[in-house]
Amino acid sequence: MPKKNKIYWLEGVTEKGVKALLADQNPKYKWLRSQRNRRILVVLVGIGNVLVAMGSYWPTLKTNLDLTEVAEITIFSVTAIFVIFAALMGYLFLRISVRGIADAPNELLDERQVMIRDTSYRYSYQIMGFLVMMLLLLMLFGREVQMFQPEGNDGSYLLISLLFTFAAMPSMVLGWRERDI
Amino acid sequence: MLHSIYATSMSRNPEEPVYNRIEEARTALGLSRQELADKVGVHYQTIGYLEREEYSPSLVLALRISSVLNQEISQLFSLTPFKKGK
Repeated sequence: MPKKNKIYWLEGVTEKGVKALLADQNPKYKWLRSQRNRRILVVLVGIGNVLVAMGSYWPTLKTNLDLTEVAEITIFSVTAIFVIFAALMGYLFLRISVRGIADAPNELLDERQVMIRDTSYRYSYQIMGFLVMMLLLLMLFGREVQMFQPEGNDGSYLLISLLFTFAAMPSMVLGWRERDI
Repeated sequence: MLHSIYATSMSRNPEEPVYNRIEEARTALGLSRQELADKVGVHYQTIGYLEREEYSPSLVLALRISSVLNQEISQLFSLTPFKKGK
């Protein structure tokens, strides 16, 4: 009887999925393993998250561009879908590049991997604390972005971007720091 | 903090590294890194980190490695560098 694939709901991973990444079962992802390529991916994911956040400034931008209503909706929809899709794909590749270590439970990792994962969470906590504080200051004192506005800029894309960043940050730290992974 | 983020050393205490003869003992037994990793229950990259002395193992892992490599733990690990050829 084949062994059941255990699902780790809290971590959002499966046993087989993590084991496959750890064991390099899929050679087509080997190009993601070098530190240089991982760092490029970290930068791209960071840029993607910033672009998602810029969705909150669309009402200001469209006024400056002076577009027709149809062009405005089309450009915004297509760009938003493309940017969010690209950010999600970047996050997926980032997880693969760090062998899923950032999201894996203790029982699937060895002691060194547990240590580097935990260290990445410690740095992620500090970085996210800084980013959340910046966002709160922006919403408190920024003139253009206010939450829950019926018209004009609202902070929903900033929050979506923050959620993406929150999910990706441990993998970003791991991908950036570790020489071999 | 920035310095810490860029640093990649993973020793438990970077100021007191643990020196070892894992590579020497492993090659003497004709084991690959992957084979040793499978026998002691770690990832093969971890064996690489251990052999380069960039990571210091826990006591449990050190004992497992000593057992697989048929060596006394004191012959395999040391707080001072091993003399070459000894």
